[in-house]
Formats: sequence, structure tokens, C-alpha cells
Amino acid sequence: MAFDPVVLFFLLGAIAGLAKSDLKIPMAIYEALSIYLLLAIGLMGGVKLAESELLPLLLPGLAVLAVGSLIPLIAFPVLRWVGRMPRADSASIAAHYGSVSVVTFSVAVALLASRGIDYEGHMVVFLVLLEMPALIIGILLARMGSKGPTRWGKTMHEVFFGKSIFLLAGGLVIGFIAGPVHIEPLEPMFFDLFKGVLALFLLEMGLVASSRIADVRQYGFFLVTFAIVMPIVSAVLGTLLGYALGMSMGGTLLLATLYASASYIAAPAAMRIAVPQANPALSIGASLGVTFPFNIFLGVPLYFWMAQTLYSLGG
Amino acid sequence: MESDDMHLLTVVAEAILEEMLIDEVRGMGAAGYTVTDARGWGRHGKRRGNWRQGGNIKVEVVASAELCDRIAARFKEQYEADYGLLMFTVPVALKN
Repeated sequence: MAFDPVVLFFLLGAIAGLAKSDLKIPMAIYEALSIYLLLAIGLMGGVKLAESELLPLLLPGLAVLAVGSLIPLIAFPVLRWVGRMPRADSASIAAHYGSVSVVTFSVAVALLASRGIDYEGHMVVFLVLLEMPALIIGILLARMGSKGPTRWGKTMHEVFFGKSIFLLAGGLVIGFIAGPVHIEPLEPMFFDLFKGVLALFLLEMGLVASSRIADVRQYGFFLVTFAIVMPIVSAVLGTLLGYALGMSMGGTLLLATLYASASYIAAPAAMRIAVPQANPALSIGASLGVTFPFNIFLGVPLYFWMAQTLYSLGG
Repeated sequence: MESDDMHLLTVVAEAILEEMLIDEVRGMGAAGYTVTDARGWGRHGKRRGNWRQGGNIKVEVVASAELCDRIAARFKEQYEADYGLLMFTVPVALKN
């Protein structure tokens, strides 16, 4: 199985959390690490994007967005009618699973880098674009049949100017303008150190997730099953679409990972503002306590295997 | 502005509400406010404060008793149903 040791830092953090160790990453360092990761991922994509032609990306981009928008629409009825969850919770969880996780994406990028497998730079553009539609779909699903205020203005501000989209898009633009030559002075900082910083960030994620893992029993059998099956279904969609669009094997793995990942930074903030009736413990618990660890330990290696198998069969 | 008729309104709420609460406080005419990061435990579970979604804030406003009451009533109406919120006032004597 394809496996990158960087994910072991998540395990270390989770063990520290569960064992009630006094290990705590200070808030300011957590913020700094996340700013670094978002900028680094944006820059890497931007530099790769500078080397490719933009116009041919339009149609594949639309296809990626369209299929990505299906994910919350598949998730919602399952949660609402199979899981018998309240509308607000179903919509909020569907939005979390339709949106994406930058760190899960980073783990897949690290895996490809360690194996020397290339991928398309515009995957980062998809990463930025895929954060948003699911959140809007989730809010609309929650609105159908609820009375409370939606606070669209605040929500949209959170979505577009929240640090995740802002820094990813900013890094992307800077990387694109700089191109592979002018980015060189920044390479030691943003590219060479990437994996080390990712390791530290995963340590913190392990600490945070451990508090959610301990609560998993509360969520019930249905939600835990959903949190494992839904990403696999989404990854199959991503793998098939990537293949159909003629992407490279690395690009297909990243698309599958994007579809499979569930947001736990942008979506919780947006949903807490727009759909406050939803219980955040359920959506964050499922995405961070179950899906995130599942994806980085088993999911990404599984999606890698899926992409590899499809490409070896299809030639 | 030395006065004996002032109150300190303290609001403990989810960090995500910071901007919205501040906009309301300013919109209702408070002369100022102080925000600090907070963590703790209560009816909405343990708020660890180690990342944004899990943190609390403490908003403090010194204003007339009437304005403190209006702000508290507004917050209660807007946010109490869906968010973690704790509010109280105490009379204070301003010294400058």
C-alpha cells in the first residue's frame, strides 16, 4: 500500500490527546502553520499552472465542478431519509462532504512527491473552486423548510475572504505570476520545508481530532458508516471522471482525494453562520473524527490503488 | 467620562460570532468594547480554544445600564437559540 510516514504524526497527536498528555500546539503556531500550508499549496499549483495552457482547462473545470456539486446532493437524501437526521444537520453534513480538505489534499500531494509522480497544476484551481459550491448547496438545502435567518452576507464573506480560500487563491496567483524561474528564491521556504510543516500540522490535527474520536460513539453507527462509505463513493466518481477527462494518474488521484475529502475548516465556519440550527458536533465529528483519519491512513492509499489499477487496465 | 451610572456587560460567546457581535455593539452606539479569547466548559460542552471552531470569546462593553440591557436583549433575540451565549452585567464606577 502507498503510505507516507508523514501521517504518523497525526497518530502521535491523537495518542497524545487520548492519553491526556499536556502537549498543546499554541494557537498562534497553529495559525502560522495553516497559513504556510495554504500558501505553499497555492504556490505549487500556481507554478505548475504557469507551465500549462489555460483555455483547454475550461471544459474539464466545469465537469469537475458539476460532478463535485453532485456529492452534497447524493449525501443529503442519504442522511435525511436513510439516517433520519434533521434537515439542518443533513444539509450541514452534506456541505462538509461536498467541500474539500486542504490537508487531505496535501497528504496526497506528499505521497505523489515521494514517489516522483507528476500531476496537473490546475488541480489546485479545482481545490479552490470545489470549496464553494457544496457550501451554497448545503445552505439552500437547509433553507428549504426552515425559517431562521441565513445571514448570506456574512456567509459569503466567510467563504470568499475566509483565510483558506483567500490564501490558496493568493498563493496560486503569485505562483502563476512568478512562474518556475522567479519562484526559485522562495523554493527552500515553501517547497522544501513543506513536508516538515505538514508533519507538525498533522500533529496538531491529531490532537484536535482526538477530542472528536472520543465522542464517536455518540454519533451512532449510521453516521460513522456514512463517514467512511461516502468518501469512497466520491473517490470512485473522482477516479472515473479523472480518467474520462484524460488526466494523468497523479491528477486522477488528487481529484479522487478532493472529492473524497470532507472540509473541517471552511465548512464548519460557513455552516455555523448560515445554518446555526445544525449541531456542529455531528458534522465536525464525522469529518474530522472519522473521515479525515480514514482518508489519510486508508483512503488515499486506496484511491492511489484505484487510479493505478484503472490506468494499468486502460493503458 | 467619570460616572457612577455605568454597567459592564460581559458576553461569552462562540468565537465565530465575533464580527457579528462587534457590528451590533458598534451599531447600537457603544463607545467601545474589549474582546479577549476565552476557553471553558458549559452547557455547550468543553470549549478548548485550540482552534477557531472550538474557541470562545469574551466581549466586554462599558455603557449606560440602559444600553447594556438593550445590547443584551438584542443578542438574546438574535443568537441565544442557536449559539452558546452567556451574558451578565455588573455596575461599575468609571475612573477616567
